Amino acid sequence: MKIYTATGDRGKTSLFSGERVSKASDRIEAYGDLDELNSTIGALIAHLPSDRSDLSDELQRIQADIFMISAWLATTANSPAVDSLEPIEERQIVFLENAIDRLEDLLPDLKNFILPGGHISAAWAHAARSVCRRAERHTVLVLESSGDDEPAEQLKRALIYLNRLSDYLFVLARECNRLHGLSDILWKKS
Amino acid sequence: MTTSEKNYSAEIMEQRWLSKKTFEIKLRRPEAFNFKPGQRISLKYKNLERDYSLASSPDEAHLTLCIRYVAGGLLSQALGDAEIGTGMSFYGPHGYFTIKPSQRPTVLVASGTGIAPFRSMVRSGAAPEFILHGVETSADLYYAEELAPASGKYIPCLSQSGDSQTYFEGRVTDYLRRHLPSQNYDFYLCGRREMIRDVTLLVDELFEGSFIYTEAFY
Repeated sequence: MKIYTATGDRGKTSLFSGERVSKASDRIEAYGDLDELNSTIGALIAHLPSDRSDLSDELQRIQADIFMISAWLATTANSPAVDSLEPIEERQIVFLENAIDRLEDLLPDLKNFILPGGHISAAWAHAARSVCRRAERHTVLVLESSGDDEPAEQLKRALIYLNRLSDYLFVLARECNRLHGLSDILWKKS
Repeated sequence: MTTSEKNYSAEIMEQRWLSKKTFEIKLRRPEAFNFKPGQRISLKYKNLERDYSLASSPDEAHLTLCIRYVAGGLLSQALGDAEIGTGMSFYGPHGYFTIKPSQRPTVLVASGTGIAPFRSMVRSGAAPEFILHGVETSADLYYAEELAPASGKYIPCLSQSGDSQTYFEGRVTDYLRRHLPSQNYDFYLCGRREMIRDVTLLVDELFEGSFIYTEAFY
């Protein structure tokens, strides 16, 4: 299969459910954010210590989840394409919650705001977190113009997933600094 | 897609040339293997690998592949030269290029061997309103006898016909632009990416509101 067909050269693209839509539509913005999020997580993985395959495995599993959420964003209401998609499940959210709990146990309590940065892996985790927040905001926009249908139900679950994922990326950023012997950079009034 | 997918063994049961540049092979179908009409498999032979859409229906005892013989195309040449009984492996099925139930009329548009998934769909009971098949000459209309009765309208589009009484002379886009009544459709496009691009842009221009599903071969 070929990568490019050039069908998007004039500013439109095809959804998974078959419609042609503007590349500036809310849906495209939303799954474009998820694409960026996945790329950013890829950069984060590339900067993890080589002996922490557990963390890179965890993040790759999350990248696969993000792919799935993207497919739901590319599918409109009442589309038979829904049958080809896997539902977003509660266990995927629980997976993130357990990972957050595990990481938080390793970290000192936080009493101040922190500034994104520190080790390069932590900086990428913060970048991923802020892209994740943007994806969440655009997903809300898609949902606000959706009805009460199956893709909308899945997007509601995706919102929970993305909200939890932002928290996970926040604690992971702190963990990345801790792994490299760095403290959080605390916010001070300048 | 991933190396962890199950590999199936298959051997060639039949091989026949459909035209000068196109041949068909039938593989013995492994019992545990299932697919939906329109899906493809990743075929592995002699350390080469390529995706092929299945041209048979899921009810048949064999898997049919419709292959364009490409000079210098390593796998198509190797398959074209392979003998009956030759073993190979594949994994899959892959893809989402399947007919979706719809209120809109269905228009299938193929170029060359892009007709393969449509043959699978038709053999599985699909009754599209239109099937367009873009080929060079009438000798390349290998599945015409099967496809014509199954659809509302089967339209070969020939680039070199020499017989404009019998066939439409021109590209599939020429036919769509001149003859397809203006309304919303579900378009399924399979074959050369240039065809897919041209039809998609035409649909954006003349059939706005239609749905498009695509599978690009080469």
